[in-house]
Amino acid sequence: MAAPVNSADIQPRQVANKSNKKALLDAIRMTLDVQSAAVRLNTQTFNRNRYAATALIGDYNELKDRARQIKEAAIANLPELLRRLEASVQANGGHFYLAKTAAAANQYIRDVLVRHQVKRVVKGKSITSEEIKLNHAIEAAGIAVAETDLAEFILQVADEQPSHIIAPALHYSRERITKLFKRKFTTDLPLDTGEELTRFAREKLREQFIAADAGISGANLIAADSGSLMLVESEGNIRMTMTLPSLHIAIAGIEKVVPSRTDFGPFLELLPASGTGQPLTSYVSILHPPLQSPPFVAPGGTAKPREFHLVLIDNGRSRMREDPVLHEALYCIRCSACLNSCANFETVGGHAFGGETYSGGIGGSWEAGTGTLMNARFSELCTACSRCVPQCPVRIDIPWLNENLRQRMNLEQPPSVAKSAFGAMTGSAEQDRVAPLQKQFFGNYHSFGKWGTRFAALANASMHLPGARGLMESALGVDCRRTLPPFPKKTWEQLYHEERGVKPGTIEPGVVMLADVFTNYGAPERGMAAIRVLRAIGLDVALSPAMPDGRAAMSQGMMETAQRQARALAPVLKRYLDEGRKIVVLEPSVLAMLRFDFKHLLGDPGTQTLLAQNSFEPLEVLWGVAQELRLDLAQIFAARRCPHGTRLFYHSHCQQRTCNSATQTVEVLRAAGFDVVTSSVECCGMAGSFGYKREYYELSMAVGEDLFAQVRRAEEGSGPRTLVASGISCHEQLSAGLGREVFHPAELLASTL
Amino acid sequence: MQQLMALESSVLQFAEAAVKAAATVEILERSPATLRDAILRAVGDATRILFAPPHELPVALFSEFAADSRVVANPTPDEMVHSAAGVTEAFAGVASTGSVCVDVGYERTGVVSLLAPLQIAVVAAETIVPKPRDLFRSDILDGKGLKRDFVFVTGPSATADMGPLVRGVHGPHKLHIIVVR
Repeated sequence: MAAPVNSADIQPRQVANKSNKKALLDAIRMTLDVQSAAVRLNTQTFNRNRYAATALIGDYNELKDRARQIKEAAIANLPELLRRLEASVQANGGHFYLAKTAAAANQYIRDVLVRHQVKRVVKGKSITSEEIKLNHAIEAAGIAVAETDLAEFILQVADEQPSHIIAPALHYSRERITKLFKRKFTTDLPLDTGEELTRFAREKLREQFIAADAGISGANLIAADSGSLMLVESEGNIRMTMTLPSLHIAIAGIEKVVPSRTDFGPFLELLPASGTGQPLTSYVSILHPPLQSPPFVAPGGTAKPREFHLVLIDNGRSRMREDPVLHEALYCIRCSACLNSCANFETVGGHAFGGETYSGGIGGSWEAGTGTLMNARFSELCTACSRCVPQCPVRIDIPWLNENLRQRMNLEQPPSVAKSAFGAMTGSAEQDRVAPLQKQFFGNYHSFGKWGTRFAALANASMHLPGARGLMESALGVDCRRTLPPFPKKTWEQLYHEERGVKPGTIEPGVVMLADVFTNYGAPERGMAAIRVLRAIGLDVALSPAMPDGRAAMSQGMMETAQRQARALAPVLKRYLDEGRKIVVLEPSVLAMLRFDFKHLLGDPGTQTLLAQNSFEPLEVLWGVAQELRLDLAQIFAARRCPHGTRLFYHSHCQQRTCNSATQTVEVLRAAGFDVVTSSVECCGMAGSFGYKREYYELSMAVGEDLFAQVRRAEEGSGPRTLVASGISCHEQLSAGLGREVFHPAELLASTL
Repeated sequence: MQQLMALESSVLQFAEAAVKAAATVEILERSPATLRDAILRAVGDATRILFAPPHELPVALFSEFAADSRVVANPTPDEMVHSAAGVTEAFAGVASTGSVCVDVGYERTGVVSLLAPLQIAVVAAETIVPKPRDLFRSDILDGKGLKRDFVFVTGPSATADMGPLVRGVHGPHKLHIIVVR
């Protein structure tokens, strides 16, 4: 393999702060050039291991509920918990300091170190210490700091910011570490294997542990009732940091406090399983310092009594606690599941999808909460594909946080006449008309669909006019290399209402298909195929009026518009439910709106629950009915009659999997006699409008490469398979990557009728 | 009888999980001579062994081992840093994860279980609990897990920071667990 070339010659530190957009785009280029292979390998390993480890926790869902309850109660009761914790630490003989700001924390720690005439500090991994830039503060006082976690050691040598919240140097391949160490250290050792590199670092750091006169650690959780800390690690360096020197300082954010040690239980099992995917890491320490055992006295040194300081850091967290959106982020236990299950993160890592300290889906809220809003710009890379949502051990709706950050960033934009007029014409709510044109274009897709289908010939022809796509790219940021779906001459609604002689279904009272805007204006024939398939098993199928559901607007941070649309759609759908019909939604991203996202938008929990419980993916309904009525699908949809062949490669949609509505499609296809191979990627990389955007085209295609490779592997030796996908944007991505036609499962089934 | 079978099955589950976490496990009948032989077999030809006396298991159980000439009774700092093995008791084991819980509040237990390349932990079969969370219950093991300073030790120290998974980082490179019945 050729050595990766950082053609842009960009250093990670230069692009850590992404408050200007150029830094974000440079960071994407840099990471795709240099870091992508290592990041992919490491995050995807974590991701696989997490699925395996959480499956072994018998009561995983109950444990998550319990963890969520503990965190909710703890954050609600935080001021009281902090008072109790202070008393506990003091009763143990330790010192407690609550720092309002990063500067105050640094000052306190520096003063303690200076008072003890500390020359050398050993430090365990602490992302909070990165947040406050503690090392700079200590070094400025002439005190040496040794990062002892091997990943942090690499970063210290390379002078880079973390790229992941639990494995901060995971963007480094073994080969790049060898190169780095050979450049920075004089050694005769070969350093050509993981073992050799580890031995080299261990020996260097062992000297530091022996000589250190203070240890600084973080804390994963802190119990207010006893002043107990929980610390999770695998290398043993945190144990050394806390056990060997006589002076131990632990620093943590105030959100780490829970009422009591009995609350550690759920987190103890969820954190390692959700993070590295281990049942437990090598060492989990449960201590209420200062330790009773005597400290280690270096050969020739003198014995000193142990001293312990707990430094808790606010640095914006109290503000986050009052914030209707950001307070959710305080529940985060920093496990990294949302990073490892994110297709974009897996491809670029935290040097692009991250800020100066925090990274990944949850990172934007933390950068905004502890810094300034624009530090969260990288959260644009969250496509709201929702794969992180079921992985979060404390059930944080991370896409929703990012959509809200997007709204706030939109609101920071200066208004303009063009944006305002464009927004008014296309349907943006008043507040959302400051959003950039590109966002309003994608957020109001239904308006373009409506006009485009009305004047389809003209609209499609105009796309082919010289300069038209160039104009779309320069004005709206729609990448020229993408194929926009042509506007159909007739919408799904029109096709449905033109049908004649349809017999009512035998299964009463049947279903209503939501005429989602993507299918209605983008792929009406797919909608009709789904109707034919459902009718083939005897269901009566009605079609709702085509109305936007809020998905497109919400994904652009146009929350007012989304809310307005959701609130208009809900009563329309409710009327069908009142008739006894179930709701069927073809486009999985819209299904996910009804199942999950409406809870943020409707302000009517009763209707929301009703809609969530009674909406289904078409083949999910089909499979349910087939099971119940023992239908012979092999006869109704005999695969051998399919003109597109029986060998399929099926890619389910990210949000469809989050809805648990993907496996039924495979069941149906197999029952009909198809030979189905499935993809195993988290997301195709298109993710709605994301891959259409000029600035993210390369990233989107890089993400898609995993999926394309899976197709190629599935076909290796055994010949081509027909491509099948359930999401409209997955179709575009697969056909862009492989240059072939892609079908919806319903289209294949309909073709057998 | 039923109790015995439950004990047996939790020991087996424990051993399986510990092996999966890259530890080695031996199950012994409780006797000073057997324990001594087992520990000495595990340390091989090491010339210096650190030992932190037990507080839960009877001291007498370790008496024959402690009498071995290679066991350093009162190690100097230099001896602590340069020993081949460290032997401690564990006050609990965890069946689902194969972890042992080592109390680090006692004098030297922390360093003895941390500094040497080979860690040996001796745990009583009847102190093996089903899950990690059980250590935080007041009705299990007298609520010791709620009061003590301890470490769940699951396999040897490890890292994936240098590329591939490497066992043996700052902490022990090997973990040998002896379950006594």
